[in-house]
Amino acid sequence: MDEEYDAIVLGTGLKECILSGMLSVSGKKVLHVDRNKYYGGESASITPLEELFTRYGAPAPDQSYGRGRDWNVDLIPKFLMANGSLVKLLIHTGVTKYLEFKCVEGSYVYKQGKISKVPVDQKEALASDLMGMFEKRRFRNFLVYVQDLQEDDPKTWKDLDPNVCTMQQVYDKFGLDKNTQDFTGHALALYRDDDYLNQNALQTIRRIKLYSDSLARYGKSPYLYPMYGLGELPQGFARLSAIYGGTYMLDKPIDEIVYENGKAVGVRSGSEIAKCKQVYCDPSYVPEKVKKTGQVIRCICLLDHTIPNTRDALSTQIIIPQKQVNRKSDIYVSLVSYTHQVAAKGWFVGMVSTTVETENPEAEIKPGLELLGPIRQKFVTVSDYYEPIDEGKESQVFISKSYDATTHFETTCLDVLDIFRRGTGTDFDFSAVKQNLGDEDQ
Amino acid sequence: MASIKVPKQKVILCGEFGVGKSSLFRRFTNNTFVTASDRQSTLGLDHFDKEYSVAGRQLRLQLWDTGGMERVASITSSYYKFAEAAVLVFSLDNAASFHVLSQHLLDIVTYAENAKIFLCGNKSDLEGSTPQVTDADMESFCEQCHNLISATFKTSCRSGEGVHEMFEDIAQHLVEANRSRLELQSIHDTESFKVLPPDESTDPPCLC
Ligand SMILES: Cc1cc2nc3c(=O)[nH]c(=O)nc-3n(C[C@@H](O)[C@H](O)[C@H](O)COP(=O)(O)OP(=O)(O)OC[C@H]3O[C@@H](n4cnc5c(N)ncnc54)[C@H](O)[C@@H]3O)c2cc1C
Ligand SMILES: Nc1nc2c(ncn2[C@@H]2O[C@H](COP(=O)(O)OP(=O)(O)O)[C@@H](O)[C@H]2O)c(=O)[nH]1
Ligand SMILES: [Mg+2]
Repeated sequence: MDEEYDAIVLGTGLKECILSGMLSVSGKKVLHVDRNKYYGGESASITPLEELFTRYGAPAPDQSYGRGRDWNVDLIPKFLMANGSLVKLLIHTGVTKYLEFKCVEGSYVYKQGKISKVPVDQKEALASDLMGMFEKRRFRNFLVYVQDLQEDDPKTWKDLDPNVCTMQQVYDKFGLDKNTQDFTGHALALYRDDDYLNQNALQTIRRIKLYSDSLARYGKSPYLYPMYGLGELPQGFARLSAIYGGTYMLDKPIDEIVYENGKAVGVRSGSEIAKCKQVYCDPSYVPEKVKKTGQVIRCICLLDHTIPNTRDALSTQIIIPQKQVNRKSDIYVSLVSYTHQVAAKGWFVGMVSTTVETENPEAEIKPGLELLGPIRQKFVTVSDYYEPIDEGKESQVFISKSYDATTHFETTCLDVLDIFRRGTGTDFDFSAVKQNLGDEDQ
Repeated sequence: MASIKVPKQKVILCGEFGVGKSSLFRRFTNNTFVTASDRQSTLGLDHFDKEYSVAGRQLRLQLWDTGGMERVASITSSYYKFAEAAVLVFSLDNAASFHVLSQHLLDIVTYAENAKIFLCGNKSDLEGSTPQVTDADMESFCEQCHNLISATFKTSCRSGEGVHEMFEDIAQHLVEANRSRLELQSIHDTESFKVLPPDESTDPPCLC
């Protein structure tokens, strides 16, 4: 450890592993340390099942759960948008070669106590009970407008400059009712609350395009999920970092970051000090440099059946728009199964999560839990959401934000790219990744 | 897709730091040998494909190197995922590297349950007249593992002896294993896939 590095990365969560990979690829000498004996931190998938039960202080699982090591349970539920930033990062860095994915089978949205499938083709749309016939026509016009809109071509704007007008104005122009707005903003644009309505429309239009571009890639839904769980993602980027010269140390407690004149110059573990020019880390390594800005509740649910009313889908997402249950933020439900190698044969892992709004967070997720049918085992976590108090320019300590309640990785990637820019002063150069990483030719 | 796909088989190298895994990888990729543990030359390259033809059947071996992660940390469990074969490498001049193999074996059966496992004693050029690890030691190791080991080899990356024979033999084992499996397994549309850059020719996206 007693060497000098360009950067020391603390924690092997997804964000830190992506950063470590990008830094190594850019020619930096990187030391990557984790206090745990496993890779992934908060983004790990826990295996075997016994380990998960121990973690939550529950008595050991009985025989019915099958083999413990067939389970890989995520602590933070998320899906990848098929055309989203994480997939782009995976492709450009070659990390996609370490992983295999399945398309999530269906996306559902909650309306007046029951769930409806988000239509993926005209046949499903025709049969959908999400909106009435006239509304479907108005909605179609809106979708056509979104698809045709070119940001740099005013002719496609239909008299509404998306750079200036609000999303509410766009909805109003197409005469969309409140339910349709709800569905569009939360199930397609994937907003967590309604703040977007009074913000500039362009952002929302981009999000709807991302949704439909992602949907167009694999057809069943816009979401992908990796085999063996999300924990494979940080590991893939860690490997990228290692093959570009990054050094890994696990099970290494970190006592402090060493500063000189307010600037980080190293990291101390026991009597060893590793010198460096910069530190990148998650909030848990620097409690004095982050502020709590909220809480997220996540409930892992082990099921021995699919979710009712989802046509026995082996993987699904359900979005409960905030207004439907009189909240300020949406509730998310996700389900993956033994077909993704994350559970023993015949088993399913459901997850209900949301941003905490009250003193009694467990009561807040009740509408989500009620959709799941009988739950065999439940594990609840309420975690604090932290953000760094500064940009890190002076201290050269660059801190990631905690993982938020969103169900996909778009905010994760934005944070990573922003940290990389703050730390190195440039955007990541994707062409720095050697093209000889082996040919991918199927 | 009309073209017949050559089945690709992932083969991983396992074993202690310094036993010659990267050297085997280098022999496999460009048939060279370097004396120093020079990591620069393989920087950024961690797996390599090569086609083998066994009894008229084409097979593509994709060999993976650890990336040196085993030096101070453990290898990620994803290294093992989807492996069809694992080569347990030790150094014939280093008994300790042989005695820790049971730990590596445990990792393989845990994370790459279905992989065929091979045993490889490397650095045979350093074996000398009083070998640190004897053939009898290797045999009794195989017996202790209840025949989990499909075959054993001795190689020298320095002279190149035995290296290509080993990979050819592994290819042969995999073709045989494949044949019986492909006959058993019907093709499901729920197969997982790799994400690839978008096809330029795809239709413009639409919500339908
Ligand atoms: C969530 C949701 C998503 C939808 N996504 C699609 C979609 O991706 N593709 C789709 O065809 N319909 C989609 N629709 C709309 C679709 O249901 C139409 O409204 C329906 O096909 C016919 O409605 P209508 O009887 O009012 O006929 P009209 O609105 O008169 O439709 C006449 C024809 O217009 C075309 N059309 C209708 N809606 C759309 C549309 N949204 N995009 C492109 N062409 C359309 C069809 O060829 C249809 O036969 C979606 C609706 C919902 C609620
Ligand atoms: N004499 C001899 N040296 C070898 C042989 N194979 C590897 N080495 C040397 O052993 C050292 C470690 O090899 P390396 O491939 O880096 O091992 P790895 O850590 O398992 O990847 C290097 O100095 C190699 O040159 C061999 O067959 N004979
Ligand atoms: Mg090596």
